[in-house]
Amino acid sequence: MLIQILLVLGFIFALWLTWKRFRQDVISLGEALAWSLLWAGGIAVSILPKLTEYLAAFFGVGRGVDLILYAAVAIQFFLIFKLFVKHEKLERLLTKLVQDQSLKDLEKNKSN
Amino acid sequence: MRVIGVIPAYNESSRIAQVLRESLSYLDGVVVVDDGSSDNTSEVAAKVDPRVVVIKHPVNRNQGAALRTGTKAALLVGAEIIVHLDADGQHDPNDLPVLIKPIADGQADIALGSRFMGIEATGMPVLRRWLLKAGRWFNILALGISKKITDPQSGLRAMTAEAAKRINFHQDGKAHASEILRLVTRSGLRWVEIPAHIKYTQDTLTKVGTNRTTDAFSIAWNLFIGVFTK
Repeated sequence: MLIQILLVLGFIFALWLTWKRFRQDVISLGEALAWSLLWAGGIAVSILPKLTEYLAAFFGVGRGVDLILYAAVAIQFFLIFKLFVKHEKLERLLTKLVQDQSLKDLEKNKSN
Repeated sequence: MRVIGVIPAYNESSRIAQVLRESLSYLDGVVVVDDGSSDNTSEVAAKVDPRVVVIKHPVNRNQGAALRTGTKAALLVGAEIIVHLDADGQHDPNDLPVLIKPIADGQADIALGSRFMGIEATGMPVLRRWLLKAGRWFNILALGISKKITDPQSGLRAMTAEAAKRINFHQDGKAHASEILRLVTRSGLRWVEIPAHIKYTQDTLTKVGTNRTTDAFSIAWNLFIGVFTK
């Protein structure tokens, strides 16, 4: 089916982009592997949709599609949370730079 | 003992001079941290008295960040006791001797001003009062801060230089007050709460970008995210 082809192509593109970013040192090896696992799972489910039904039965969820939706929501929550934490770290880094800059003159005066 | 005040200021050109003049009656010097103001706060502050040291943040980093910068600056200029107070005139400088006394007498390492120890705050909105009461319970239940602390968000505090070095707070925003309380009550430092008179005016309550009711939620959120950010 056309949708399967499009999904597989999309996931292959995501895989290619992930490893490109790894080679560019944008993400770590662990992150690249974790993302690759996700995209590989997407490819597997796109080619063999029945897989989701086995997994759904294993987790006690009614339909395979429901399992994918639940998992997608959980993953998105996790990623948004990670973004918040990353944002907070950047804010703190910016504050530290601002503080160091602001105190430079005073520190210079003290050392003279 | 050399007592240095630390005043974070953001667009306070109309109020800072009076706060500085009144505070300097009780302090040996004041560090004003102009937190990226778009008005002439730093120029006004610098002209008040030669005992005023003005530090400028090139961009606004919020009250907690400015306090941290000011505290470091106070240590650099040789403070033995550091006093944190607000720039908008909410704190009564006449409270400073009472606040500083337990530190100067060696009875405490940190003294915290409180709006809820018998001195009625002037002009405090009812909603603010209830939010602060809710904030106190949030501090107790979520942060494990001692029940003995009556004011969860006081910005008026005095501490020894040694205590200032030990209280390593990270919150840039208003959540710094709760974070400081948590650190103080878990640090083994000797702390005491002192009744303080806080004055709310229409001017300070409507100040742009500050004192919003939604602050309570952002404080709780910042404290939550802060736990995961080291």
